[in-house]
Amino acid sequence: MGSHSFEEHTGEVRIHLEGQTQEELFEEAARGLAEVMLGPELPGATGPLQEVTLAAVDSEALLVDWLNELVFRADAEHRIITEAHVDAATDTELRARIRGAEVEVLKTAVKAATLHGLHLQRSPGRITASVVLDV
Amino acid sequence: MVHEVPRTYRWDMHVPVRVFADGELLEQISRDRSLEQLVNVATLPGITRAALGMPDMHEGYGFPVGGVAATIAPDGVISPGGIGFDINCGVRLLTTSLSRADAGPSIKALVHELSRSIPTGYGRSGRIALSAAELDQVLQGGAPHLVRRHGLGLEEDLAFLEAGGCLPGADPAAVSARAKQRGRDQLGTLGGGNHFLEVQAVEAVFDPAAATAFGLVEGQLAVLIHTGSRGLGHQVCTDYVKLMDAEQKRFGFHLPDRQLACAPLSSPEGHDYFAGMCAAANFAWANRQALTHRVREAIRRVLGAAAEVHVLYDVAHNIAKLEEYDGRSLCVHRKGATRAFGPSSPELPARYRTVGQPVLIPGSMGTASFVLAGEDAAREVSLGSACHGAGRALSRTAAKRRVQGDVLRKELEARGIAVFCPSNAELAEEAPVAYKDVDRVVDVVARAGIARKVARLVPLGVLKG
Repeated sequence: MGSHSFEEHTGEVRIHLEGQTQEELFEEAARGLAEVMLGPELPGATGPLQEVTLAAVDSEALLVDWLNELVFRADAEHRIITEAHVDAATDTELRARIRGAEVEVLKTAVKAATLHGLHLQRSPGRITASVVLDV
Repeated sequence: MVHEVPRTYRWDMHVPVRVFADGELLEQISRDRSLEQLVNVATLPGITRAALGMPDMHEGYGFPVGGVAATIAPDGVISPGGIGFDINCGVRLLTTSLSRADAGPSIKALVHELSRSIPTGYGRSGRIALSAAELDQVLQGGAPHLVRRHGLGLEEDLAFLEAGGCLPGADPAAVSARAKQRGRDQLGTLGGGNHFLEVQAVEAVFDPAAATAFGLVEGQLAVLIHTGSRGLGHQVCTDYVKLMDAEQKRFGFHLPDRQLACAPLSSPEGHDYFAGMCAAANFAWANRQALTHRVREAIRRVLGAAAEVHVLYDVAHNIAKLEEYDGRSLCVHRKGATRAFGPSSPELPARYRTVGQPVLIPGSMGTASFVLAGEDAAREVSLGSACHGAGRALSRTAAKRRVQGDVLRKELEARGIAVFCPSNAELAEEAPVAYKDVDRVVDVVARAGIARKVARLVPLGVLKG
C-alpha cells in the first residue's frame, strides 16, 4: 500500500509519494491529486472504467503526464478521478483504468503538475518522489 | 536595495542574479528556494543582462514567481516555465464616475450582484457559447475581437490594454485540441486560486498630475479584476513543457531544473510555443474584457444606469514579449512580474505618454492596492519590469495553521469589507498574513527608480475566485 503526504512550498503544493512499485506510486499520485482537489474524504467513483495509455521519455515525465491527464479530465470533463488502477508502468509507458465523480465544488483547483525538482528514488521494495503542483 | 549574486557564484551561470529588496524582504525571500531558482534561471541559453528578482519574489517551479529574464532573439531560448501555466494572468483596473459616498450602503448589494453575474470557482461556464471557429477567432483576435464581434465592452477600452489586448503573433493552430476543450466554456469566468475581483475606493493620491492623467481622484469607486487564460492557458503550457523537455538533449541543453525546459525562439518548437502562448494571452485579454462587460452591467443595475466605467489599464504578469533594448530584440519573460514602461514608450496610449504606464499592484485580500507609473529608468534597471503584488510569504498550509477562515471573515466584515467566498479554508489560504507587506514591496519598486507611486486603493468588497 502506498502513501502520500504534503510538504511545504510557499506558492504551490508539493506532494511526497511512496509506493512499493511504480504502479503503486502512480496510484498514490492519483489519490494525492484527488485529495488536493477535494480534501481527504473522496466521493465514490461512478460510471464505467476508462482505459488510459500514456508514453513519455522517462519515468519522471511519465508521472507528470499521468497527473496532467487527471488534471485535464477534472477541468475539461468536470470529473475528479477518485479510482485509478495502474495495470502496468514502465519507465516510458503506462496503462491504467480510471473512473471518477462529478463534483460541483473544488477545495483547490490544480492547474498542472510540474517537473520541478522531480526524481523518482528507487531502493529495494520502495520507490518515492516529490511532485510540485501549480495550484 | 539591489542585491547581486555574481556570475561566478556557480559555474553554469551565464549572467548575474539581481534581486530588488530591502533587508526584511530579502530575509523573507531567503527562507524558501526562490534565490536558488533564480540562479537556475541565470543558466538559460541566450540569457542576457541578469536574472532579475522582484521584491515580491517567492518560490515557484522552474522560475521563481517574481522572476524576469531576457534572452537574445532569435536564437536565445523561450521557456514555457518562465511564463507559467496561467499564461497572461494579469490585472485590470476599472475606474467609475461614482464615489464611495455615492455607493454608500449599496456596496454589499453590488458585490452580491457581481457574485451572481460572474462565475467563480470550479466548473462554472462563462455563458459565452463559442463554436470551434469562434474560439479560434478569439485566440487570434483577443479583446478587440470580443468588443467588435461580440459586443462585450467598448471600443474605447482597447487603447488602455497592454498590447491593445491582442498579440499579433498568435496562431490558433499552435493551441492543441485539449487546450481548446479546457477553455471552451471558460471565457468570462474568474476561476479559482488567488484570482479575485475587488471593489475598491481610492484612499490616497501621491502624484496628482499622474492621477489626473489616469482619471483617479480620492474617494472614487474602482474595480480590480485579477484572472488569466484559465484551463486553456494551463494546457498550452503543459503541452509545450512536455514537447520541449523531450528535446533538451537534441538542443544540447543541460539545465539544472527540467521545468526550465526551453527551445530557441527560432526553432520550430520555440516558434510554435510563442504562437500558442500569444493565442492563450489573447484568450486571457478576451476573458478580462468579458468580465469588464459584466462588471459594467452590474454597476449600472445596482448603482444607476448613468454610471460610467472606464478601463484605467490592463497588464499581464505572466507572459513573454519581444521588446527592443539597445537596438536588439529580446524575449523578455515575466513570471509574476508586471511590465513597467516609462513615459517615452511608444506603446503607451496618448493620454499616458507624459506620465508613464500604469503599473497595477494588488495587495493581498483585505489590504491596499497601488497604482504606480512606470519610469523610463526601469528599462535599464529592471528590463522595464516591476513587482506584481505583495507576494506570498507563507505556504497555504502554514497560513491555515495561523488563521481561521471564519475569524478572518468576521474581521474583514468588521472593517466594512464585504467578502464573497464560500470556503473558510480558501479564505484562510489567502489571508493577509500569508503575504509580504505590499507597502514595503511598493516602496522598494519606487526607491529603485522602476515606478513611482500614484495612488493607493483600499478594498470595500471582495469576490474570491
